[in-house]
Amino acid sequence: MFGLDYSWLADPAYQNWLVTGVINTLELAALSSSVAILIGMLGALGLSLRVFWLDALIEFFVEVFRNTPPLLQMLFAYFTLSTLGLKTTDPVTGLEVPLLSAFACACISLSLFGGALAIEAFRSGLETMPKAITEAGRSLGYSRWARFWRIEVPIASRVCLPSLTNILTNLFKTTSQASVITVPELMYYAGQIYNDTFRTLEVMILILIIYVVLVSILSYGMSRLEAYLTLPGYGKGQ
Amino acid sequence: MNMTFELSYEGKKRLVIGGVLAAIAAWIAVDAMAGGAEHWARVFVRLPLLLTGQGDGWPITGGFALNILLSIASMAVATVLGTLLGISTLAQSPYLRLPAFFIMNFLRNSPWLVLLFAMLFILPFQVEVFGLRIPFPPFVKAVIGLALPTAANLSEVVRGAVQSIHSGQWEAARALGYTTPQIYRHVILPQALRRMIPGWMNLYALLTIATALATVTGIQDVLTILNTSLAMESERVLVYFYLTTLFLFFAYCYPIAIFARRLERAVKGDNI
Repeated sequence: MFGLDYSWLADPAYQNWLVTGVINTLELAALSSSVAILIGMLGALGLSLRVFWLDALIEFFVEVFRNTPPLLQMLFAYFTLSTLGLKTTDPVTGLEVPLLSAFACACISLSLFGGALAIEAFRSGLETMPKAITEAGRSLGYSRWARFWRIEVPIASRVCLPSLTNILTNLFKTTSQASVITVPELMYYAGQIYNDTFRTLEVMILILIIYVVLVSILSYGMSRLEAYLTLPGYGKGQ
Repeated sequence: MNMTFELSYEGKKRLVIGGVLAAIAAWIAVDAMAGGAEHWARVFVRLPLLLTGQGDGWPITGGFALNILLSIASMAVATVLGTLLGISTLAQSPYLRLPAFFIMNFLRNSPWLVLLFAMLFILPFQVEVFGLRIPFPPFVKAVIGLALPTAANLSEVVRGAVQSIHSGQWEAARALGYTTPQIYRHVILPQALRRMIPGWMNLYALLTIATALATVTGIQDVLTILNTSLAMESERVLVYFYLTTLFLFFAYCYPIAIFARRLERAVKGDNI
């Protein structure tokens, strides 16, 4: 079709690479998304406490990570953490090896990048919270933590689900950049395959389609979750 | 009477951020005294190379200047494409609307890096139109590769802005006998433009950040220079180069982000 040659797809070795790549991509995305959401929640909680120094520190963190390229963040993390910093001696070979693998570095830097975006999303979710609701919680004797966890998070997370969906899909797409620091995910194996077969165009079209399908599944799943979690009066239930 | 100097909440916050910056400056100074100074000297010598791609700083052939040029060119292409795409998703005819939706979602769901890579191979080296040869150098491919996802994101912004215009405007224009293109041209877009600007600027900052990816096309952008021309520098010095490059991006994008946020607040309340 269109003069494209996909005969290499029949080779089990390449199939294996593709499957491994997809699994590693999913793993990287799942790990960094979970940590990013955690960072986002903690950061938004920190901001809601209205403690000026915490507020300032969180804002500094968010602005730095939002306004620099994630690719550069990843390269920097990989370079400083594994090449210069934390090293350990391999007990078998006696050689000095980096303590953190490329995967770990990618995971750390993606989590921080995603976390910075998530803090913003959760913060705007918490800001839309009507004061009467938190006051009602306070008058019922909820502690600050209980109010946050039992009242604010359930409502705010529904309000900010659409922007959270954007952030998670964005983070998933950004995992492809981990290939630059040799994390063996889908994009990395794409390079391996076309270096082997010289079918650059065919490989890239296939990889693009795989990514679009994966991201579409993610955003479809998030929109289903949004519909499932709808509370009357908040978010889509408005 | 309380004689202590009272600061507002924002003022205190600014003080802490100033403190953080001072701490970073102090750390740099301490590090410089402990031997970092010569590393910084290397960075200073190489700064023209990072900024313009030339050791002397002139003529401009690459570096961070190329990233900015790339972002401006891509944004220009993306603005045209994104507006057309956004209006197409609002078209009455399903033959225009559904393909536009498909293209928008496809581009929005594909990673920038993968799309850039794919464009590198999908686009030919040159196209021949009426015997005229138009070459596609890597720079043009990078412009198109970055413009496509930006256009898809911009089409959402355009869509939202057009939809936010009161339907009375449409009805009034129709009653006056305007055709649909005329309504867009003379009534809707001029009003929607004001609401599009914050989103447009946010996207521009995002695009500038994404120009770092253009290094895969092989153009001499700041990251390519960092990875190739500076390979002879020692490992330790490279950390300082990375920090400098991160700062360059931050210094360019942060003011844009701040300005966009201000505009957003200014536009928020207005209902035409």
